[in-house]
Amino acid sequence: MNFNFIRILSKNNNRNWLGVVSLLLGLLAWYLITRYSGIPNFILPSPLSVWTRLLKALSDGSLIYHTGITLSEIVLGLLVGIMFATVVGYGLAKSRSLEKVLSPYLVASQAIPIVAIAPLLVIWLGDGILSKVVICALIVFFPVLVNTIVGVRAVPIALYDLMNSLHASRSQILWKVEAPASLPVFFGGLRVGATLSVIGAIVGELVDAEKGLGFLLQLGDFQYDTPMVFVAVFTLIALALMLYGIVTLLEKRFLKWQEKN
Amino acid sequence: MFRKFVLITLGMALALSACGSLQSTNGTGELTKIRLPMGYIPNIQFAPFYVAIQKGYFRDAGIEIEFDYKFETDGVKLVGAGDVPFALVSGEQVLLARAQGLPVEYVTAWYQQYPVSVVAKSELGILIPQDLKGKKIGLPGLFGASYVGLRALLFDAHMSESDVTLDAIGFNQVDLMAAGQQDVVVGYTANEPIQLRARGIPVTEIRVADYVQLASNGILASEKVIKENPELVRAFVGAFLKGLSDVIADPDEAFKISESNIPNFSDLDADVQKQVLETSIEQWKTDRLGYSDPQAWENMQNVLLDMGLITEKMDLNKAYTNEFIP
Repeated sequence: MNFNFIRILSKNNNRNWLGVVSLLLGLLAWYLITRYSGIPNFILPSPLSVWTRLLKALSDGSLIYHTGITLSEIVLGLLVGIMFATVVGYGLAKSRSLEKVLSPYLVASQAIPIVAIAPLLVIWLGDGILSKVVICALIVFFPVLVNTIVGVRAVPIALYDLMNSLHASRSQILWKVEAPASLPVFFGGLRVGATLSVIGAIVGELVDAEKGLGFLLQLGDFQYDTPMVFVAVFTLIALALMLYGIVTLLEKRFLKWQEKN
Repeated sequence: MFRKFVLITLGMALALSACGSLQSTNGTGELTKIRLPMGYIPNIQFAPFYVAIQKGYFRDAGIEIEFDYKFETDGVKLVGAGDVPFALVSGEQVLLARAQGLPVEYVTAWYQQYPVSVVAKSELGILIPQDLKGKKIGLPGLFGASYVGLRALLFDAHMSESDVTLDAIGFNQVDLMAAGQQDVVVGYTANEPIQLRARGIPVTEIRVADYVQLASNGILASEKVIKENPELVRAFVGAFLKGLSDVIADPDEAFKISESNIPNFSDLDADVQKQVLETSIEQWKTDRLGYSDPQAWENMQNVLLDMGLITEKMDLNKAYTNEFIP
């Protein structure tokens, strides 16, 4: 492969091939380590054994089933977390007094390791899906909240002056100015929240697991089936990437006006 | 270039493993340092180790122990990888690990009775396994000793998982039962029933060990240490069994010795801790301390096969041995 060919490829394919090459090199390095290092399969399985385990988990339906459970918790947790974070964030952005009252609690809440309180949430909320959704929502809440506050506060004063001069109602200011103007920053928080939501669901499932990818992780560990642990971990990574991709697509869709500008 | 890289990496790995591996007692009076994965937090149930150390049994055997209170499965992996020589594990872990090719062998049966019980609120009148039919049962998860113990109990009673409703609740059995969210839970014989009664909740208890004999908690060793340093295995097992024997003979003394090994022990309810120790001793007693009952291993294998956790029978003679006990 000569240099010109690489340059043409990079130009034509927007350098996507670099990602593929990086992935292949990573897999090759992983394979070589497992092949020549002497590390046992139960400590670091080879890519081939993980692939074989993935096919088995797909064919017996277990991976699809448990992924569906975790995904439903993630989606619900995301929706709840985003909804609360947006409403509270907007309130805090508009009211310094409210911010003074609530911010110590909000900041303190971020210092609490969610792993430590997850068992308590299970006791308080029961061991059904609710506790997992709440844990997920708690993790999603903060990044979305912060970006909502920053986004709303970043709306230029001139736009408010313009709307006021047009005698716009509060609702019109919200939907015509504040919402679109704060969207770019808001989506930044959403990207972080979407990827973190995966961790939230897993933390909940690790506390009282009987289904979901967290359960598969624990089962794999209990049975010393390390390839299964890797399959569950890679599925979680795929879920996080998928959610990140969806947010990016939404961002492109809703921020088309920004690209034109 | 790659060959050179692999050789350097291997060389470093070998050097590191040499640093971390055992130095057998070399006659110079140096103690062999052993990091011991315990599988649980500091607890009065580890009294035999605390006593054996306090009375110098391990020191006399040329061993210095450092407790490592990590998860049981992590301990098994470390033993399997040859990073540590021993770990404390439950019987089912030995077969599950061997089924995945981990080179480990069980060398001492510490518990003679499988330490799991089904605990129910007294008003339900649950006294035998058949009474569990149709009941919702809370347990930490669909894995681990609690799950295996429950399945063994159901298996012995010719019942299946479909006869009950299992509810994974994490390690919150006592709190959820006290809060009225669970009526029947699975827990450790020397823990949950005692904790619940101490909170004034009357409970009945079905001990798995009253119905089926299963390979229980004991000492796991790596095949590597068994092959390369059997004297160390014998010395370690011997020192432990002396501690075990002393605890059974004098629980009060063991209780006092254990105090300093358990953080915040003075804050714990002393009566509850004494009951935990007494109940544990009940499960340790036997004519020949440390002896592994072949039938208990057969039973454990059958239960794991029934559960689908292992798929084929294995050579149990390679899974455990009575070679190192006196």
